[in-house]
Amino acid sequence: MANTFKSDPIEFKPAEAKPAPDSTVGIVAWMRGNLFSSIPNAAFTILIMLGLANVIPDIIDWMFISSTWSGANQDACVGDGACWVFVKAWSQQFFYGSYTTDQIWRVNLSLILLFVVIVMSFTLPASYRLKVSVPLFLVLPFLCIAILDGRLVGLEHVNTDFWGGFSLNVLMAAAAIIVAFPFSFLWALGRRSDMPLARSISVVFIEFFRGVPVLALFFMGSVMLPLFFAEGTNVDKLVRVWIVLIFFMSGYMAEVFRGGFQAIPSGQYEAADSIGLGYWQKTLLIILPQVIKVSMPNILATFVMLFKNTVFLLIIGIPEVLQTLLTALSNSNWLGGHAIEGYVFVGVIFWLCCFGMSMLASNIEKKLDTSHRN
Amino acid sequence: MSTESKVADSVEDTIIIKDLNKWYGDFHVLKDINLTVKKGEKIVICGPSGSGKSTTIRCINRLEEFQRGSLIVNGVEMVEDVKNIEAIRREVGMVFQHFNLFPHLTILENLTLGPIWVQKKPKAEAEEIAMKYLERVKIPEQADKFPGQLSGGQQQRVAIARSLCMSPQIMLFDEPTSALDPEMIKEVLDVMVELADEGMTMLCVTHEMGFAKKVADRVIFMDAGEIVEQNTPEELFNNPQTDRLQLFLSQILDH
Repeated sequence: MANTFKSDPIEFKPAEAKPAPDSTVGIVAWMRGNLFSSIPNAAFTILIMLGLANVIPDIIDWMFISSTWSGANQDACVGDGACWVFVKAWSQQFFYGSYTTDQIWRVNLSLILLFVVIVMSFTLPASYRLKVSVPLFLVLPFLCIAILDGRLVGLEHVNTDFWGGFSLNVLMAAAAIIVAFPFSFLWALGRRSDMPLARSISVVFIEFFRGVPVLALFFMGSVMLPLFFAEGTNVDKLVRVWIVLIFFMSGYMAEVFRGGFQAIPSGQYEAADSIGLGYWQKTLLIILPQVIKVSMPNILATFVMLFKNTVFLLIIGIPEVLQTLLTALSNSNWLGGHAIEGYVFVGVIFWLCCFGMSMLASNIEKKLDTSHRN
Repeated sequence: MSTESKVADSVEDTIIIKDLNKWYGDFHVLKDINLTVKKGEKIVICGPSGSGKSTTIRCINRLEEFQRGSLIVNGVEMVEDVKNIEAIRREVGMVFQHFNLFPHLTILENLTLGPIWVQKKPKAEAEEIAMKYLERVKIPEQADKFPGQLSGGQQQRVAIARSLCMSPQIMLFDEPTSALDPEMIKEVLDVMVELADEGMTMLCVTHEMGFAKKVADRVIFMDAGEIVEQNTPEELFNNPQTDRLQLFLSQILDH
């Protein structure tokens, strides 16, 4: 520094940081701030607590205390509470449908593979995470189909009519979203494209699959889609609804991605252009990773929606978990009115899965949050 | 000027802009811009906001399209042809006001991206080049951090290094210090002065008059999409010819 000043400098020392005052931290402060911050607030808090105190003991009593846990059939259900014997007796059906009993390990194997690939996709070292997990993800649906079907890998053939239960819901949703991912990305790019043809095709596609109710789509898939296949070919019903789910999902995800694209500042495109990257390099290396990051919460939300929508498959007679429950409820050996237990059970497993996914989503978000963008 | 020297001049001209016109819709942003830049020349462009100075240099690597006129960079005419544009962009580095580092990549990855994917260099070589330039901008220790963890001045130095990794022949600076805190401007300008001393051809949109006086061979003053005056820094700042430049100078210097 060339500057010279008249007086000798006095040393500047930053003051030490002090702890926050007690009244802003701790449980009491939290309750005061969030539950009893004003008189109406306090009144609401007390009202809701009274309501909960009224309802919760009854629910606990029904679910756990007066409920029946052991037994093998309808006769065991004598208590006042829930009869979980029903769920227990049907649990294999609920999870695996009518899949051949001694081959059930194949369903488990598929679920484990799915789980492993998901875990790998965010625990592998960042340097080769994408290179490994993207191909794995893309191979996975077909591998699972091969394992479950059995013919290609030299196992006993299990016809898709016997696939069912909750595992089918999970695998259908996963297989659909994985295949939908690259498609939806292309639709989103198409919709943003300068080329009129690409843009209008994308818009029509996206708006069609977003505008038509999923139930109608399932009907179209099971009734109309066969008309498009060559005569004599009999495409499996599950494959047809899989295709429908992929289209449905990619329509929604395309819009999620489009939102993500719009969130990327134009400077990123310009910087990529200025170092001479081509269109696809720019899109795949610079834009897509950031789009996925900002869209992650919405992608997971869309996936949860699709996952829950798989119960609509019952409408075209596919034995997913809810359809299996309906079959169980109308079984002549179990006519004791176990609907509540059944629905509670299905509700709880769906809730657990969806809640798990939101936890996963927030976890991923935190992990990806490496840029404290200015 | 003799004919011989004219021929020599035209060989050394790296950028030739002739009658460049650009419109945003009906708005005429650039009006008959004529500018020739010799190899190794350092040009500072200044002017009020909206005068078209950023747009002019953004036309040079075709971040902006223009409707009329011609632009020749390194002997290659800029036309619609995509291949041409990408070839030019490899020769022209650009530094932006808001740095525009890639936030999802580490500093090192930001620097190696171009050499690996555009110049198809092996990763090890690209990293070697990247570290060389990081050392030159004096932040090799930040290589494994993410852009968001760096200060503005450090980010801008990384952005300069990222451009240099492509070994460009021309560097464009679009208000490189405008988004920086006062204490960080100097570290970025120091890097730029060093670069100028090494003979890089530079076009710099900036209001740092100290920098202009120190390195510029020529200062261009633009207003309303036109080049109003151009001259050496001493002449331009001390002897402004037009009332517009006099007004501009009185406004930026009267503090």
